[in-house]
Amino acid sequence: MLLLPAGTRLIWQKCDELYFVYQPSSTETHVFNETSATIIACLKTEPLSMVSLRERTETALGLSIGELETEEFTFAVVRLEELGLIDFDDEPIVAR
Amino acid sequence: MIVADLSIADFERCVARHGLPIRFGPFNLRIRSDLETFTSVAHRLYAPYPLFEAQEISDFHVQITRPRGLRGWIRRQACFAVDGHFPFAPYTVEHAFPALEWGINWCVATRSHHLLMLHAAGVERDGHAILFPASPGDGKSTLCTALVHSGWRLLSDEFGLVRPEDGLLLPLPRVIPLKNESIKVIRRFRPEAVMGPAFLETRKGTVVHVQPPEDSIRRAQETAKPRWLVFPRWIADAPLTLTEIPKSQAFLMVASNAFNYEVLDQTAFQLVIDMVRSCDCFSLSYSKLDEAIAALDDLSGRVDA
Repeated sequence: MLLLPAGTRLIWQKCDELYFVYQPSSTETHVFNETSATIIACLKTEPLSMVSLRERTETALGLSIGELETEEFTFAVVRLEELGLIDFDDEPIVAR
Repeated sequence: MIVADLSIADFERCVARHGLPIRFGPFNLRIRSDLETFTSVAHRLYAPYPLFEAQEISDFHVQITRPRGLRGWIRRQACFAVDGHFPFAPYTVEHAFPALEWGINWCVATRSHHLLMLHAAGVERDGHAILFPASPGDGKSTLCTALVHSGWRLLSDEFGLVRPEDGLLLPLPRVIPLKNESIKVIRRFRPEAVMGPAFLETRKGTVVHVQPPEDSIRRAQETAKPRWLVFPRWIADAPLTLTEIPKSQAFLMVASNAFNYEVLDQTAFQLVIDMVRSCDCFSLSYSKLDEAIAALDDLSGRVDA
């Protein structure tokens, strides 16, 4: 399952088509595209499996199920995990 | 009282004994020196700057002096110190003035974390400021010097000092160091500009300092609201282009150009976001100062209209 780390607080600002996100815990500023921002937004309510997260993200982006490129989705999830913005407990990050 | 009110003899005495209590924008500095190579240039180039009263607090105690002990008699050197510490290797004594000026920059950049410090030149006219965030070598000092000799007020050629409380810019109108080719360019552009001597073979090549117009120094306590972010780039023989750029791109360029973005954390993030949102953002490529100034005049004229 994928989830947001406990106590994650992010400060969001949208500028053009990008999201500038300040992470107080690391004092870092991140720049996200719509896909990355949507992934985090989807995980705000509850932990999700990779499949569910991908479907929710696609729906939130206004895409049909299966329309989001696997490469783009996987890259975003892996990068967000590297930044410590999402955790995964038992499932390896491989998009189906 | 301003520096020009002191005779050269009084100036030398003041600098050698208690230190010259001089005000540069928001900072009070007490400058000490026992070097004639410094005082002769400083008395002339600092002439329009105000002196602060004895009871006021000094932000920095700086000095440019001969080395202590035997070395001071053997080597013709100038040592920069702040609050009694010597952070740099000695300079040749002939470079005492630029060494002090660089030292003051270092003090501001490393110790003024109550302000967001952007690596940017800034000018103002009619209450609207242009900030020129740029890397060394992009020509911001040259462009800035030309603008302040063409009706704009100098805020700074090096520091965009942003006050966290309200996002306004605090002027720091210091003398402007021109380097190498820029010196000839400005001498041709404004022969009447007040310029100091040429310092040859410094760590940054040949350097000449330009005194800002007196109006800029007199109005150094007047804040300014940022209205435009212009990212300049001098390119030989390039045609003039002034192109609007996305605010997201401007955000990244401003944030990565700040001296203390990481130090100020969330405050810096919010200040840069607010600044980028409230400014129109442009990329400027130019090779001729006249054309660049006309384009920036035109930009400010659109607001007036």
